[in-house]
Amino acid sequence: MDISASLAARSYGAARPLTAPDPEAAGGPATSAGRFAESFAQVLEKADTSARAAMTGDADPHALVAALSEAQLAVETAVAVRDKVVEAYLEILRMPV
Amino acid sequence: MSILDSTMASSASGMQAQATRLRHVSENIANADTPGYQRKTVPFEAMALPGDGFGQASGVRSGAVILDRSALTQIYDPGHILADETGNYLGSNVELMVEIADAREAQRSYEANLKMFDQARQMSQSLIGLLRR
Repeated sequence: MDISASLAARSYGAARPLTAPDPEAAGGPATSAGRFAESFAQVLEKADTSARAAMTGDADPHALVAALSEAQLAVETAVAVRDKVVEAYLEILRMPV
Repeated sequence: MSILDSTMASSASGMQAQATRLRHVSENIANADTPGYQRKTVPFEAMALPGDGFGQASGVRSGAVILDRSALTQIYDPGHILADETGNYLGSNVELMVEIADAREAQRSYEANLKMFDQARQMSQSLIGLLRR
């Protein structure tokens, strides 16, 4: 019993470094996700300004349609990516430990 | 800006240019009976769309209006206030048949651009739809 307990403790100790954060990868996904969010906000902002300009008669409808379709596609992309991320997270949560 | 986004921007610029062309055609038709009116034609020119410079998309825009310098039609109407001693006055050089054909061509090009716009949108939507499964 003592032997198996120390064995388990040792293998647990050996497995611990695997879960430590990798200094090289630190900031990688976070910054790219930040960039994605930034460009997403830019697209939405553009759609907003052209919608406002079209309402006041400053922009032509072609620019409005182009900006709104771009915004629609951006939102759909963001929703699809979010769904994938949430699904992966739930998958990890359901993992039998 | 992705490739499909620039495709949509190019198509939107094409639609805008065709709409400008249609506007000038309607101006010509409206002035078909104006004495001394010269019909307007719109040249198209390529333009760079706003982008990052690398692999930049290009669109189209309508340039400065060019007046058609062909001879004005002589209209015989001695009672007209502009008539000279022979009873003729100078009308416009607008040919209604040419203008209608031009308008129809603008409409067809507009539809082609609209189709390309829709195509690019459907392609990006089905690409994103792939993520959802």
